[in-house]
Amino acid sequence: MANMKEIQDRIRSVQDTMKITNAMYTISSSKLKKAKKALEDTEPYFYALQGAISRTLRHVPDLEHRYFDERGTVQGKERKVGYVVITGDKGMAGAYNHNVEKLAEDKMAVRDCDSYLFVLGEMGRQYFTRRNMAIDTQFHYTVQNPTMHRARVISELLVDKFNKGELDEVYIIFTQMNNSVAMEPRMIQLLPLKKATFEVKTPAIVDIHQEEIEMVPSEEAVLDMIVPNYITGMIYSCLVESYSSEQNSRMIAMQNSTDSAKEILHELNISYNRARQASITQEITEVISGARAQKR
Amino acid sequence: MAENGEKNTFYLKVIAADRVFFQGRCLSVVLPAVDGEHAILAHHSDMMIATSTGTIRFRTESGEVHEAVVGTGFTQVINNRVTILVEFAERPEEIDALRAREAMERAQEQLRQKQSQQEYYHTQASLARAMARLRMTNKNNINRK
Repeated sequence: MANMKEIQDRIRSVQDTMKITNAMYTISSSKLKKAKKALEDTEPYFYALQGAISRTLRHVPDLEHRYFDERGTVQGKERKVGYVVITGDKGMAGAYNHNVEKLAEDKMAVRDCDSYLFVLGEMGRQYFTRRNMAIDTQFHYTVQNPTMHRARVISELLVDKFNKGELDEVYIIFTQMNNSVAMEPRMIQLLPLKKATFEVKTPAIVDIHQEEIEMVPSEEAVLDMIVPNYITGMIYSCLVESYSSEQNSRMIAMQNSTDSAKEILHELNISYNRARQASITQEITEVISGARAQKR
Repeated sequence: MAENGEKNTFYLKVIAADRVFFQGRCLSVVLPAVDGEHAILAHHSDMMIATSTGTIRFRTESGEVHEAVVGTGFTQVINNRVTILVEFAERPEEIDALRAREAMERAQEQLRQKQSQQEYYHTQASLARAMARLRMTNKNNINRK
């Protein structure tokens, strides 16, 4: 049986660790609340933008615009595909980082084209550097406290690269939070925009004359205003979604470790009590046998 | 319907990226379009307008005039409902003049230096934002004194 001092030390160390995991749990839960609030605030803007694009498309169905250009002529190795991968800045969040990284790798392996990686978050950056994947080194943004400003800077960069022809397709890989226990990594296309995404399923009323909408100064100028903002909104909501998922996974991970710390403490307490009891019993036996020996 | 219920009003909604800035019935609104200011009254024909950084002015149902600085965005007028979607929207009293002045100076300094095309547009946009904010605060100061 382990000696009492050892067990006591062990108990103390487990207790200290439990304090830390408990604190991290509380921090994550408050951060999660903040992030969710931020997302709720931007939702009306985002949905209105989406609605505006679909309305524009409905009125000008054969619209040709650079953001909707699929660039079908560029194929195979020539095609440059950018992936924005959102990971966390630190670990201790269960499989959160791993899941995103794995999805990114799978998606890149499937396509035979020139891939460019834009990684957000320290964990992902380290992971992909270790695997000798070419990542954009200039792309250094943190994922803590996502702000609209950061999203705008990122989207400006991507839209600029897309317009210059340095990227033909842009995807974003992030983690979506389905509910407080289920999260899954997802990939969505940012550029070029797919007309199908905005199509509203209306019953066949094609022949009915719809109200005319005048575009000032031109359709192109209006879309030029809407699309970059829309992409900014997309990136922002992905950032917030990922951030919430990260905090949520950390909460779950920390909850689990607190629980197992409690379990270990319980077991240690039992063995400590046993050890204590054993030593008492032994002392008594010694005293009794000593007294008996003197009697004779 | 009240006696003055037949006033010519329309429904205005100003949505900024981080909040719904204003919603309610209005008599008129003036917006900074890319090619000059546009005024919209009730029952305007349907239209979509790209707007740049500048100020919007709107007169509410009760006759009060409100002003706000807005970022780039666009406006849609559909069925007598006007929706203004902008990057940001701020009331005059919310503007931090000192910050805006610093931002303006920073942008002007950057514009003097050699920049890439993208950086140039970026600085120009932040300069426009700072100037729009400053214009609003300056105007208000004159009015008060």
